[in-house]
Amino acid sequence: MTAPLLQAEKLVKRFPVRGGFLAEKRELTAVAGVDLEIFPGETLGVAGESGCGKSTVARLLTGLIPPSEGSVRYGGRELFAMNGEELAQYRREVQMIFQDPFSSLNPRMRVAQIIGEPLDIHGIGTPSERRERVARLMERVGLPPEALSRFPHQFSGGQRQRIGIARSLAVSPRLIIADEPVSALDLSIQAQIINLLQEVKKDLGLSFLFITHDLSVLRHLSDRIAIMYLGRIVESGSRDDVLSKQLHPYTEALLSAIPSIDPQKKSRHVVARGELPSPLSPPSGCPFHTRCPYAEAICSEERPELLEKEPGHRAACHFSNRIYRS
Amino acid sequence: MSPLLEIEGLCTEFAQKSGVLRAVRGVDLSMEPGETLALVGESGCGKSITAASVLRLVPPPGRITAGSIRFKGIELLSLSEDRMREIRGNRIAMVFQDPMTSLNPVFTIGYQVAEGLRVHRGLDKKQAEREAAAILSEVGIPAPMERMKDYPHQLSGGMRQRVMIAMALALRPELVIADEPTTALDVTIQAQILELLDRLMAEHRMGMILITHNLGIVAERADRTAIMYAGEIVESAPTAELFANPLHPYTQGLLASLPESGKPGEKLATFAGSVPDLKGEFTGCPFRERCPIGEERCTKHMIEMKEAGPGHLVRCLKAP
Repeated sequence: MTAPLLQAEKLVKRFPVRGGFLAEKRELTAVAGVDLEIFPGETLGVAGESGCGKSTVARLLTGLIPPSEGSVRYGGRELFAMNGEELAQYRREVQMIFQDPFSSLNPRMRVAQIIGEPLDIHGIGTPSERRERVARLMERVGLPPEALSRFPHQFSGGQRQRIGIARSLAVSPRLIIADEPVSALDLSIQAQIINLLQEVKKDLGLSFLFITHDLSVLRHLSDRIAIMYLGRIVESGSRDDVLSKQLHPYTEALLSAIPSIDPQKKSRHVVARGELPSPLSPPSGCPFHTRCPYAEAICSEERPELLEKEPGHRAACHFSNRIYRS
Repeated sequence: MSPLLEIEGLCTEFAQKSGVLRAVRGVDLSMEPGETLALVGESGCGKSITAASVLRLVPPPGRITAGSIRFKGIELLSLSEDRMREIRGNRIAMVFQDPMTSLNPVFTIGYQVAEGLRVHRGLDKKQAEREAAAILSEVGIPAPMERMKDYPHQLSGGMRQRVMIAMALALRPELVIADEPTTALDVTIQAQILELLDRLMAEHRMGMILITHNLGIVAERADRTAIMYAGEIVESAPTAELFANPLHPYTQGLLASLPESGKPGEKLATFAGSVPDLKGEFTGCPFRERCPIGEERCTKHMIEMKEAGPGHLVRCLKAP
């Protein structure tokens, strides 16, 4: 088996929270011990609802914020011990695509500057080589050449997302971390961007970490999937294992809550009860027990570990053997 | 039975410096009491403006320039503003997408839910409060007497949306217009809210116009579905029929572009080009430039709606 390109172990991120004037300082644990691996050429999809810590994981992996505990290893080297040339190389090889194509592009820069900026920062090529590369990237992502001298506001959401993708590809990355890259787009545009991401991945042999709340997008793009809930991964495995032989009740609830256009799927609604608990005061034991239809006494006392229940398929549930059978 | 709502030839325009934007271009719709009608389309297709027109709440400089909107036989477009206010909120209510911006941050939940009851029903403060608590508990808000003292920011997104629904339903309207009611919510909460709306609609036999871009929600919840494109309704049919047998190339394209329709990893169907500029005049089919089967004759004149099957209307020359 090949070595993982990137490996995170026991990642924890806590943020200080001020309750208000004179209120006691508290801590919010956004990520509570996440292990994950991304192998060369694969797409790992991470799904979960708002506040589950998926975006914090993305920011930790890009090195934008330091973790409170844990490690991220890239090519065998510890990310948070890197500096100088090593860190610059990491930042070249690991790129990010953001959700909001409106706020993630500098409105005062022309498209050519936006796409070329990573090349300038990393000092790659001569000015004429850079221009050449920017033109090729534009073509690659399906932007017309005349777009070069325009500003971001002159483009639609889908076109802007193409600019963001071209920018992330400029410095020949090996891993792209994409945080909800299609959620803000209309349906027909979403399909175009999904196709583009698939093409680039195939043509350039890239690895992807794809973060989304939309499981139908995830199913389309991922090789492996990890489901997060309140800062923890509750289930992970191959796409087909997680989506069709789920072992965690939260995955089951998430899947059954997705409205489907297929009339066959309508009947099975396992609606998770109640609300997402606050990450400021997560429930004792299993974080999902407050909403879980299978919960028993042990679930509020003992937190289940993320264990390998079947080859390559992990779940953190005391009763995972009951889920898929049901 | 007379229809609950009948819209005919509705046109809504926005006069801007750069020209007149024709956001809604001749919309016809009809719905029965207790029916859920889904209005589907991508951003800018005119679905929200159509809904705002029904309430006569088109934001300026928007103006309804033609057509007729009859609610239980009453022509809304010729009512005085006072009469319209009696209908708005009382007999036709609205649930908005974003409960954070449509609830007033400086009043308590209880005050806002009770307000409609005091204004439209003439209840006194105590009665209105009791009634409001009953409605909040009906929409699944635990400990409603306590929650009524809360301000909107103290509630979660899902709870705020329940409050919005409570406000809309407080006066038992005959028609509810829900504009993307669950788009801001997580999927497990979305499922809860949709179940709630379904149950309340059935119990009180209310009609609903459900505006959404989520085709999964439409397939599961709507009785009839109308697909809008560039200010026109291009196809409408009973929901099951529309999904099983889409006839307009735009509807077909939309369904095919869903990740759910494709095999994992395979290319999704897309259409080239973009929505036409709705400023100024143009003749013919608005979809023709992106249409895979478009022809010369599609550009010649306005395309008429034709009936392709029982209740299945489509605006395409090439549809059977």
